[in-house]
Amino acid sequence: MTNTIKTDVLIIGGGPSGLAAAIHLADLFKGNPALKDRKILLVDKGASTGSHILSGAVIKPQVFKDLLPDIPVPFDSKVSKEAVVMLGAKSSFKMPFHPPYMGNKGNYCASLGEICRFLANIAAEKGVQVYSGFAMSEVLYDEKGYVRGAKCIDTGVNHNGEHLENFVEGTSVEADITVFAEGTRGSLAKKIIQKFDLQKGRNEQVYSLGCKEVWAVPESNIKAGEIYHTMGYPAANEHVFGGGFIYGLKDNKVAVGLVLGLEAKDPTFDTFKAFQIWKTHPFVAKFLRDGKLIESGAKTLPEGGYYSQPKNYVNSALIVGDSAGFLAMPALKGIHLGMYSGMAAAKAIAYAFEKNDFSENTLVRYAELIASGKVHKEMYAVRNFRQGFNKGMIAGIFHFGTQIFTCGAGLCGKLKTVADDLETLPVSAVRKTLFKEKYATFTPAYDKVTAVFYAGVSHDEEQIPHLHINNQEIYNEKNIPLYDAPCQYYCPAESYELHTGKNGHKELRIHFENCLHCKTCDIKEPLGGITWNVPNGGNGPDYKYM
Amino acid sequence: MSLTIISLIKQVPLPTEMRMGEDGLMDRTKAKSIINIDCQFGLEAGLQLKKQYPDARMIVCSMGPVSFENALRTALSMGYDEAYLLSDRKLGGSDTYATGLAISTLLKYLGFTKDSKDRFIIFAGRQTSDGDTAHVPSQVAECLGIPQATFVEKVTSDGNFTVNARRIIEGGYQMLKLPLPCLISLTPTGIKPRKPSLIGAVKARKAEIKVLSVDEIGMTSEQQKLIGIAGSPTIVAAVENIESDRPPVMLAAGQGEQQLVENFIAGFAKGGNVLQKKEKAVKEKKDAPDFPVMDKRGDNKGILTWAEVVGGQIARPSLELLTPAKHLAEQLGGDTKISTVLTGKNIKHLAATLFEYGSDEVIIVEDEKLEEYLVLPFSDIITQIIREKKPEVALFAATTAGRELAPRTGMKTGSGVTADCTGLEMDIYIDRKNKEIVRPILHSRRPTYGESKLATIIGFVYPQISTARAGTFPLPPKQNGRTGITSEFKPVLNTEDFVTQIVETVRGQGGLQSLFDADIIIAGGRGTVGDGLRKIQELAQALRDKGLKAEWACSRVVVDGGYAEYARQIGQTGKTVRPKIYVAVGISGAIQHLSGIKEAGKIIAVNNNSKAPIFNNADFGIVGNYEDIIPELIEKVQNGFTFGL
Repeated sequence: MTNTIKTDVLIIGGGPSGLAAAIHLADLFKGNPALKDRKILLVDKGASTGSHILSGAVIKPQVFKDLLPDIPVPFDSKVSKEAVVMLGAKSSFKMPFHPPYMGNKGNYCASLGEICRFLANIAAEKGVQVYSGFAMSEVLYDEKGYVRGAKCIDTGVNHNGEHLENFVEGTSVEADITVFAEGTRGSLAKKIIQKFDLQKGRNEQVYSLGCKEVWAVPESNIKAGEIYHTMGYPAANEHVFGGGFIYGLKDNKVAVGLVLGLEAKDPTFDTFKAFQIWKTHPFVAKFLRDGKLIESGAKTLPEGGYYSQPKNYVNSALIVGDSAGFLAMPALKGIHLGMYSGMAAAKAIAYAFEKNDFSENTLVRYAELIASGKVHKEMYAVRNFRQGFNKGMIAGIFHFGTQIFTCGAGLCGKLKTVADDLETLPVSAVRKTLFKEKYATFTPAYDKVTAVFYAGVSHDEEQIPHLHINNQEIYNEKNIPLYDAPCQYYCPAESYELHTGKNGHKELRIHFENCLHCKTCDIKEPLGGITWNVPNGGNGPDYKYM
Repeated sequence: MSLTIISLIKQVPLPTEMRMGEDGLMDRTKAKSIINIDCQFGLEAGLQLKKQYPDARMIVCSMGPVSFENALRTALSMGYDEAYLLSDRKLGGSDTYATGLAISTLLKYLGFTKDSKDRFIIFAGRQTSDGDTAHVPSQVAECLGIPQATFVEKVTSDGNFTVNARRIIEGGYQMLKLPLPCLISLTPTGIKPRKPSLIGAVKARKAEIKVLSVDEIGMTSEQQKLIGIAGSPTIVAAVENIESDRPPVMLAAGQGEQQLVENFIAGFAKGGNVLQKKEKAVKEKKDAPDFPVMDKRGDNKGILTWAEVVGGQIARPSLELLTPAKHLAEQLGGDTKISTVLTGKNIKHLAATLFEYGSDEVIIVEDEKLEEYLVLPFSDIITQIIREKKPEVALFAATTAGRELAPRTGMKTGSGVTADCTGLEMDIYIDRKNKEIVRPILHSRRPTYGESKLATIIGFVYPQISTARAGTFPLPPKQNGRTGITSEFKPVLNTEDFVTQIVETVRGQGGLQSLFDADIIIAGGRGTVGDGLRKIQELAQALRDKGLKAEWACSRVVVDGGYAEYARQIGQTGKTVRPKIYVAVGISGAIQHLSGIKEAGKIIAVNNNSKAPIFNNADFGIVGNYEDIIPELIEKVQNGFTFGL
């Protein structure tokens, strides 16, 4: 029995960019009699659409009008009041003006998961075959070396990969064009970026980790559409880039989050803990007073911007959305850019089918469309923003100031980035008090494992652990003694535990069943120590309104 | 000749999201749904059998609202080919009797009867998580008149249209050989259900699911009178919450095993958390309306019980059963007799034991062929006795035998059956529709919805049949020298009843009694097999060295893995232990295990997963790796810590 299905276009990932690509492509196919029978298959690893989606989110609505004219979008609430607030250790003051690019007039608060469910329904109505709960773990290539689709992970195996009685071979999906829309640090996108050297000549991608919670709060705490961005505490103290957000949602809910760069030199830096500390600041705490935690989660964001974007097309494949770094600082907005990238990819794919040529020669159209469109304009203007902050907030503000007056160039032209894992220093090289020591006495209101519970995480026990130490020997000789096993700190899900035995022997224990799929370990572990692979389909968090 | 593999499945709410409507019936509208876990194991068993019969026709059937199509599509994506859903408003509120009747009618409609030319096998789940009765498989098999094996965890075939089923029994297992057609119900301990494949999901989405009504499957108007809430012989009369009498767990704080164990001991010395009892609102007692009182028993009189014989002895649960039997007899009035059916070979002498524990009459059924329990002849015999003796109540111990024997018998007598009861009382039923009060009537109370609710079920067909949970009722006081009436019953034995062959019966020996007598039990679960439970045994030994009555035990998975003998297994098959201290190490806390330790004094859980359900049911908890914690505990024991004993 064959275990292969064929489609014309395979889209891997049901986030906003993958779904926008699917919807727009379905429209384009339908509008062209020669292409009206082309099939689009979209696969997502979440148990249901939106269950792995986490974002702030305040969304620029124009892209929805471009994608779906005349269809109302289930946003949560329109931004009615906004402020940027500078936090000191105890103090706070509202900035009298909005920093450039950070205004949100006319934008909407939303649950991105909700938006994705809405988009998935529309895609299905338009004839796209949408399947959630299936994880693609392998890229397929044809004899010419073109991407030929992807294969689902094999299920029914034990920790060593040996087949159990309920073994089911993963289905192979063959497609003329494959779109990688896996979101931040896509595990297959990473493979093709490496295979085809797509990051060549570009800056390293750099990331932030965002921790987010949704609370039910008393009516008086905050109004729907009321949004605040915070800067300063506690990030500024730690010389990491980032800030917090507080978004009032309908039905007396509030989304709070802290997004911090992963460039910390201190291997013991812990974003989850910083988030819990941030929540105790009087300015933040007042919004949560007498409230109840409903959901919790974490995800990374690619922040490198324009210069960090990989080449996003190869023979028979395209990369869209977060996987291709479509995110613009300083407003931290990527949803509309990702969706526009999906729409541009759709146009290029339709063009390739018209030409019946799936090589780079036609797919370059995707990059051309991006370069000539508003995405480029928006990302190019802030092309040096994020890099400017890598020497700290003060330097960053200086850089950013000069960039505004030079249309984004700044005084130094193209600023470089350093990959986040290379930023991490050994414990002995950290010049200031270690984060873990500085906040040793701080006890968060609840621990990471509780947060994992509020993310609805589950993983099948019987599978190859999807968190993989690349070289156990190096890990034991370097990462543990020199770096204090940083994963035990930065992982927001406590998937990693450094256990010290009675005889003082230290070993890393992996609890992959906690994993929130944020990908921080794949990004941040020094010496390239950890690889994040996809686990079984349907495993992972079960976000409902994130 | 081809084989058809049929799987019966039910869609249930995710156990964590179960809610109940005001009427005590499940509210299926809100919760996220899955295929009932046991049914998933049934689906997998069917797919495993297909490996031996690659050309088998694969059918999946369900009964319920149209939303059950989701479950059927999942089954199709796992590898089934055809799906049928019996869906009809008339079926709403059906009890297990009515469900068994309706599903078997569907199967007959699809062409599967005892005499079908094409061979077929039916797989089902042992029980559902929203009902927990385990009745429907036996009832379907009885309606179709085919042999059955329930509580099965693995099925193989020799390729010659017979199957070998490994059936779980108390303290062991039994290998049964069954001819086709037959029905097998699966426990969730065998081969784990596979994940659907994408290619399967694509196929399933295109597939047609045939939705059928009761008229379409040819249910006669007579049969239709027996389904739905109106036709069902039993109803749910009341539901109340069960409040845990165990206070919230006290988790030891600290980093590293040394600190954890020290903090645990400190907490233990303080006595742990205290249960905050909520004041129960006193219910206003409403006066019964002024309806005429009706006694509907007719000429049905007396209480019938069945005594299970295991290894030449009356099984303990069958003696425990005489406690509620006696209670009911007293409530019914002085002349109500308890008659006990004793079936087997050379068992006459066991009647004396039954008299001493409270039976008034023992009905002896002796035959060469009855040496070992088999559901077909035993249900036939008991039905013949019920027809002759006309008892008003028939009770079975809820052992693996009783839980299939009762529904199969009930299907023959038209009685509804209430499973796994923890309380049995004679009471009244106020029938507001017909403006009458029925008295006396049996109220059978049983925990349900993951042990969170206590439902009261009443039946309207005599005899009312219930099974009583093993380990719940105490043994009746033994009255040495008490005697009663002995009678012999000569049943009509049907050769067809002996088509199922017992190939092998394995029961663990020894160790068992010491588990009942131990003051402290150290039990190891899946998490402790790394060293073959050596540390578990060392801790028990260390306690024995201090002069304590300590014993070690384990959970079901450990026995399955071959790390310990059956006699040491707690939970699942009804073994309830009552030590003063129970230390659960690396045991996640499956509901079956938890019900086996509910009566323990203090429960201490050691597990590296802080989310493990065991922590919701323990007094003290240590989150950590057993390899680190247990040696630390052993050291403390050697230095004099004896868990307060």
